Order: sequence, then C-alpha cells, then structure tokens
Amino acid sequence: MFDFSVITSWIHALLTSWMPEGLAVFIECVLVGVCLLLMYAVIAIVMIFMERKVCAAFQCRLGPMRVGPWGTVQVLCDVIKMLTKEIITIRHSDRFLYNLAPYIVILASVLAFACLPVSRGLEVLDFNVGVFFLMAASSIGVVGILLAGWSSNNKYSLIGAMRSGAQMISYELSIGLSILTIVVLTDTMQFSEIVERQADGWFLFKGHLPALIAFVIYLIAGNAEVNRGPFDLPEAESELTAGYHTEYSGMHFGLFYVAEFVNLFIVSGVAATIFLGGWMPLHISGWEGFNTVMDYIPGFVWFFAKAFFVVWLLMWIKWTFPRLRVDQILTLEWKYLVPIGLVNLLLMVIVVVFKLHF
Amino acid sequence: MNNDWMKKIPEWEPAAEWSEAGDGRFTVPAERFRFLAERLKKEGGFDFLRSLTGMDWGEEGFGAVYHLENTSTGENIVVRAVTADREHPLLPTVSDLWRGAEFNEREAFDYFGIRFVNHPDMRRLFLRDDWVGYPLRKDYDPSLNPLRMSNEVAKDSTASYDLMPDGSIIRHRNVIFDEGEYVINIGPQHPATHGVLRFRVSLEGEIIRKLDVHCGYIHRGIEKMCEELTYPQTLALTDRLDYLGASQNRHALCMCIEKGLGVEVPERVQYIRTIMDELQRIDSHLLFFSCLCMDMGALTAFFYGFRDREKVLDILEQTTGGRLIQTYNTIGGVQADIHPDFVRKVKELIAYLRPTLREYHEVFTGNVIAQERLKGTGVLTREDAISFGATGGTGRAAGWACDVRKRHPYAMYGKVDFDEVLFTEGDCFARYMVRMREIEQSMRIIEQLIDNIPEGPYQVKMKPVIRIPEGSYYAAVEGSRGEFGVYIESRGDKFPYRMKFRSTGLPLVSCMETISRGAKIADLIAIGGTVDYVVPDIDR
Amino acid sequence: MSYIKGLFHGVGSLATGMKVTLKEFFTPKVTEQYPENRATLKMFDRYCGELTMPHDADGKNRCIACGLCQAACPNGTIHIETEMVTDPETGKPKKRLVRYEYDLGSCMFCHLCVNACPHDAIRFSTAFEHAVFTRGKLVKQLNKR
Repeated sequence: MFDFSVITSWIHALLTSWMPEGLAVFIECVLVGVCLLLMYAVIAIVMIFMERKVCAAFQCRLGPMRVGPWGTVQVLCDVIKMLTKEIITIRHSDRFLYNLAPYIVILASVLAFACLPVSRGLEVLDFNVGVFFLMAASSIGVVGILLAGWSSNNKYSLIGAMRSGAQMISYELSIGLSILTIVVLTDTMQFSEIVERQADGWFLFKGHLPALIAFVIYLIAGNAEVNRGPFDLPEAESELTAGYHTEYSGMHFGLFYVAEFVNLFIVSGVAATIFLGGWMPLHISGWEGFNTVMDYIPGFVWFFAKAFFVVWLLMWIKWTFPRLRVDQILTLEWKYLVPIGLVNLLLMVIVVVFKLHF
Repeated sequence: MNNDWMKKIPEWEPAAEWSEAGDGRFTVPAERFRFLAERLKKEGGFDFLRSLTGMDWGEEGFGAVYHLENTSTGENIVVRAVTADREHPLLPTVSDLWRGAEFNEREAFDYFGIRFVNHPDMRRLFLRDDWVGYPLRKDYDPSLNPLRMSNEVAKDSTASYDLMPDGSIIRHRNVIFDEGEYVINIGPQHPATHGVLRFRVSLEGEIIRKLDVHCGYIHRGIEKMCEELTYPQTLALTDRLDYLGASQNRHALCMCIEKGLGVEVPERVQYIRTIMDELQRIDSHLLFFSCLCMDMGALTAFFYGFRDREKVLDILEQTTGGRLIQTYNTIGGVQADIHPDFVRKVKELIAYLRPTLREYHEVFTGNVIAQERLKGTGVLTREDAISFGATGGTGRAAGWACDVRKRHPYAMYGKVDFDEVLFTEGDCFARYMVRMREIEQSMRIIEQLIDNIPEGPYQVKMKPVIRIPEGSYYAAVEGSRGEFGVYIESRGDKFPYRMKFRSTGLPLVSCMETISRGAKIADLIAIGGTVDYVVPDIDR
Repeated sequence: MSYIKGLFHGVGSLATGMKVTLKEFFTPKVTEQYPENRATLKMFDRYCGELTMPHDADGKNRCIACGLCQAACPNGTIHIETEMVTDPETGKPKKRLVRYEYDLGSCMFCHLCVNACPHDAIRFSTAFEHAVFTRGKLVKQLNKR
C-alpha cells in the first residue's frame, strides 16, 4: 500500500531547505487548504451529478442528457450560472445574520471534511480525539441553518429552521452513540488508528451484530443529520416551499446546496472509514493471491469507492420513501434509535469484554 | 319527484307553488323558505344539498334553486326561493342546516348580490373585494370593472347580516384572524395546493388553529360566458373545469342538454361514453396517486404514476385527438368513432395496470411512513361529509354511499356489475385507498364493456340550431372526484338562460377547515392531497 | 412485544419499497428524447395541432366562404373576409373567399368549425411545434390565395 506521507514529507523537506521552518509550515497550510477546498468543490460537483443521474434512474428517467456526453457538463454550467446570479437582499431581514448564515454552514462542512482520511498519509486533521472533533465541527452547521431561517424574515423559513434545529440536535445523539459503539471496539478516537485496525477485517464484519446495528443506526441518523431522504422536513418543498433557504439566491443558496451534498459525502465517508475500513483494501484471510491484487488498488480509490457506495445507498433510501412528519421524526429518534443505540452500545461492551469479536 | 312530497310540501307550506316545466320544482317566497328548509331537513330527512344555484329571474326578482336529496331513501326534491326585491335582495341562510351551503351562498352573494341573513361569513368568494356590481345579474354593466393593477389586501374580518323584526338589517363584523395570530399563506403559489388556491392558516407552532380558504385566482366566469354561447358552444368550456374529468364533465352537460331535448342516445354511444369516463377516472386516480406521493415527499412513486398515466392518455389521445382537453362528447353522440386500435390498447392497458398497481402498493401503500402519516389524520365524519356535500372518494371514505353511478345510474352503469368502494374511517388513508380500489373497479367496468360495444351510429342527427324547451334541468355524473352536476335553466332560446355547474371541488375545499383544524402543517398537505380537489373546477 | 413487532414490520415494509425502486433502477428508462427523436416522433392521426385548409395540386381549396365555421366558433378565432363576384358560368353573383384568418393563440380545438363545414374544407393537422416569439405570428392565413 502506497504511503502518501513520503510525498508530504518530501515537500516539507524541500520547503524547509530554503526557507525558515515557520514560513514553510505556513505555506504548507495554505497549500493544504487550497487542495482541500478544491477537492471539496470537485466532490460537490460529482455528488450533484451523481444525485441527478441516480435519482433519474430510480424514477425511470435519464436525467440530464443535453450538455456534454450524458449530460456530464451540466453541473459545471449550473455552477457558473449560480456564481453569476444576483444575490438578492430581502427587505426587513437581519442583513448581517442573513449573509453570515451560509458561511457558517459551509465552514462546519469544510471542517468536518478535513477530518476524512482519504488514504494512508493523506490525513489533514488527524489527532487523538478526531471523532470528537468531527462531531463537534459538524454540529456547528445547525447554527447556520437556524440563523438562516430566523434572519430571512419569512415564516416558511422560520418553521423550517425550527424543525431543523429539533431534528439535528436529536439525531446528533444517535450518531454519537453509533460511533461510540465502534470506539468501544477500537479503543481509539484517532481516524488513522481506526483505519489501521481494520487491516485484518472491517469493523462491520469484526464487530458482527452490534456493529451492523450501529451501521444501520448511523446511516439513518446520518441521513437525518444532512436533512435528506425521508428526513428532509426542514426544506420539505411540498410543505415549506424550500424551508430555511427559501429567500436565498445566487451563491448564497449555492453554498447551502453544496454544503448539503458534501455533508452527505462526509456522512458516507465517515461511515466508510469507521465501518468499512476506510482506505483499507478488502482482504479475505487465506486468499493470499486475492489480497495482493487488492493491495495494488490505491487507498484513495478504495476510500472513494466505499464512500460513494454509501452515498448511493443513502440516495436509494432518499428516492424511495415519503417524508416523515416532525413528531414522527422525534418519535423515531427518541423511542427507537436512542434506546436501540444504548442497548447496542451495551452489547458491544459485552462483546469486547468477552472477546466475542473476530 | 315522489308523489308524497307533492302533497306534503303544500301542506307544510301553503305558499309553495308547483311548476311542471323541465324537472319540476316548488317555488317558495324568500321569507317563508327558512321554515320549509328546516322541516325538509329535520322531518323530511333531506340531509344532502346537492346543488345551490343563485338566480336572477329578471322581473320576478332574485333567488336560489336548491336541489336536495335524502341520502337514506334516495328521494330528490327541487325548491326555489324567490325574493322580488331587486334593490336589497335577502334570503335566509341554510348554511347551518347544510354546511355545504356556506360556500355556495357566498358564491350567490358574489354573483348576484343576494345577502343571506345570518350567514356567518358574507364575503365574496371568487371576485375581488373591490369588484363593482354583481356580474351574473342580467343588468350588469362590465365596463364598471376595468382591469385593476392594485394589490388586493386580504381582510382579517368578515361581515354577517341580521334581519330585525322591523325589516332593518344589522351588519356584524366577525373577526377571522386576530392581531397576534401567526398567519401563514399556503398558496396561491405553493407546490402542494395543486393549482392557484390559497389557504390562510393560523398556526400555533406546527399546529393549525384556523384555516381560511381564498378561491378565485383562476376564476374565468365560465357560467357567465355560457349565457352568451349556443348549447354546442358551451361544451367547449366544460373540459376546462375539472381538467382531470374532462370526459365526465362533458358527459354531464351533454346528458343535461339531451334530457332537455328529449334525445335518446344510441347504445353504442352509451358504451363509448362509459368506457371513456372510466378511462378518465383511472387517469385521474393515477394522477391523484402521483401527486399525493409527491406531496408526501416520495418523488419516485410520483414518476411511476405519471409514467403509467401516460399510457392512459395515449389511448384517449388516439381516439379523441386530445390528452387533457378531449372535446369528445357531443350533443347526441361523440365526436368520432373509437379508433380501430382502441379495444386492443385498452385491454393491453388493463393487463399492464394490474401488476403495476401491486407495485404501487409495495412502494407506497404498505410503507410504514406513509401509513403512519395517513392513518388517523384529517378525519371527516359521515355526517359532515353529507352536510358539506363532499361526494366522491372523500365521501365514500367516510362511509357515505354517494356514488352517482349507483344513486342515479346513467349511461351503462345500471347494467354493469361493480362495487362501490366504501370505507368507514374517513381519514386520509381511507380516502387514498378508496381511489386505489376504484381504479380496480374501473378496470372491471371497462372489461365488461370493451368486448361488447354494439354496432350503430356514434352520433344522432341533431337540428342545426339547438333550443331546449323552457324549464330547468339538472343532470349529474360521477366525476373523478365526486358528483359533477349541470343545472340548465332555459327560456326556449338557443342560449341557456342560466347554466350552473355543480363543482365537485367546492364542497371538498369547504370541508378543509373542519378536517384540518388541530392537525399539523404536514397533515394539511396530506389532507389536501387526499381530498383531491382540482382548482379550475372550484373557481370555474 | 408490539414495539418489537412494529419495528420489524416497519423495517420489512421499507425493504419492500426499496426492492421495487431497485428493480426500477435497472429497468429501461422511458424518457422520450425530444427533439433528438423528431424524425421518428409521430403524433396520432386524430391529434388536433392546428386548423388547416388543405389545397389540391392546383392550389385550390374547397371553401365556399359560407361563414358557418365563423358563426360556430365560440370565441372568434376564425375571421373570414369575402367578396362578391359574378360566376362566369352561370352569371349569378357569388361569394368568394378573400382571406381566411385563423388565430391559433385563441383556438380551443372544440371541433365546432370542422363539424360545421359543409364541404370539408378545413381540418385539423397533427403539427405540434407551435412556439413563436410574438403572438401576432399565431394569426395565420389558411387560404393560399
């Protein structure tokens, strides 16, 4: 397996060889930041294209077909359109908060995005409480949504924001519990460590039943966290026209839109990391030839393949089910997911204590 | 009309006069009407107000025509109340006896300026508040109302009128929404109102406290237009009422005109009309399924429904030349004979639709989320359904056997074997299931007819100028979403004196307030979806 | 107990739904690729696109300018201009069509004109691409001369 730290340390050595260490680190930070944002944008475009095609396929349609072969350039055109559109200011809105809100959402999203270990040696934010950091960073987003709803002086937006607040804060709990279940299994909170320990088998298989339950809970709660699928009440278009971002236009709306899709990717990426072995290739013990072949596939391919598989899974869910009602969302969380999550955590502790895992 | 009532009504009300022309009806002076209405409701058991038509009889004055039905015995009666006062016409309200009258009386007020004493909410229903005059009066001057460019501000209060013993009128101001209420507009531009209908909803958190319906955003004055069109010309407008029941609407109007003319329609035409009506019903119910799914957020099921509706539309288009606006029924026949491929394609459609319906049930009906959201929400009781006159799937979901095809069989419906789908829960899920089961029943009806279409002409030779003998006529069909009736009052001219369409959607919308009170916003969407109104049919 | 039963029932129903959508994911799509399929796209022959007046090889139509279609039209879509000429054969004065104007923008496709025509001079065509930039272009002259 190729280790990208070779490249990064070579760049570091190169920079420090002809400039002071502090400046080198600063330049590296900027470089990493630019790369991160670039990847963020590319992933957003890929995700939007994928959403359109996948949803069309589920709905016996073809999706975008006109611009470029198979409509591949469509999203790029949409991005340009979005960038050039006028940003409308709303009368009687809280101008400062109204303009601030999309940036908070995007900030939370980028911070969480930085935590994803893409390949060996390609971890941007990787420290011993990475899981905590990810959860803390990603939950800033709800503030942005609440602000957006409050400041746009629109009753639909306000209702959407309130729904979103109730929903995201509740589902944070289930996400935490399901990730905690895996943390119990691995006894580490560092993402790179979590991935390393899945070298001999993904946690979904190693932790068998409790891990599987945790995976399902994580998918449900993750879907709710990004306001998608059957949990898209904050922006339920048939009830609240567009929910909290009703009044946003141009790139301000674009930021919400992009953040939503990348958040979906982050949720899938985290699922891939902690349940499906991150960038670890698929190994089946005993099949040596198979395992070496798998090792030739680079880590980031594995990571993206797994993440996009989970994305597809979530899209499949989204494009199948009707939307829940606000009280049902809370019922599902507090009467089903949280108790099951807690019992599952206990189960995992038993499994770990008695060494029942593989 | 039953002979008993011919005797009983003059006994109850000596001032009532019987006139034979057309369907025949009793005439009661306005001041005596209230007593008769009460007795008819309480003692006569006439609990269903089929239609309420405001009228301007010129010299005779203003008034309204009431079509009543006893839902347990199936008896029908027509009563008209007349007031000679052209300056300040007053009629007693019957909105407390039949709640369906509430909107219909507002409509009569809107069109004719008849004020209904004690009606709780005497606002205009369709036209703007600053409209000058009353458009369906025969002496109305259209030049009074130029196109207005100003915004119409929705009022938060309404008026009601009390008649004092000395003949003076007291105007009361009734508050609809208080200052402090959180009022939110659902519509006229809203994805879930299925057209330009507007609800003003007072919320407490997510819970609906009050709901106020505003109609008229797509009002075209079709009834007024009909008064200046010849009978064949009026046919062109019915397709544009309930656009998902074009075939049935036109069938009703043709039936009413044929009834007035005394024309017997050939059996082949009856077969074709019945099959077309049922295809139209399948089309409408598939659209209902799709739109409900979309309103509930299941966008994929929406596409499945639309994909399959396309197949129905293709069949309709091949024979009629139109998809939505078919212009197929004519007076005394149909526009063209069925296409040679018609029978084969209909059979293919039925063979295709059966397994597809199972798929619908798998993807949506059985889904736990859909069930949770639809079951127990928006309950309409049987009494309310009858009182509001909420016919069609909405009424049948509440346990009211209101199918016109069974109550007053027309075309081939008396001779085919089909079940009237009835549920008793009256909630959204029952309303949904009624329609899904009705698709199956429609297919059953078509299957019985499609192989036996008799040979014969598809059009009776009609006179070049059609004049209906003087009198009033009412004919109704079971439209896609309830009883669609046509009321024609003729004075023997080639134009109708008054033509009124009993909208299927207006009673459905009028019961929205009752069934959505206390529900959540998301439920309002589900209720609106399952009640299944079509806005151009409400606004006419 | 009912809690667990409900849980499994719910999950089961969700799985059934997902099964259906997965099946649709792999079935051929129904999208019609207009305008790419313009060459093969054919409307049903009874489809009412617009009113036309067929002309024979000599460029003659069958209209006798009787005005029945204009009278039958509910909303003044058809406008006929006529002139009186003397028939060269019989010597009697006769109406002749000068201009047959048809406003596609207001036509309701009610068939009354076609039904009224005693000589089958007008009929509906299956053309359906009617988009124009100005309303005025929808007013068409149907007779060629």
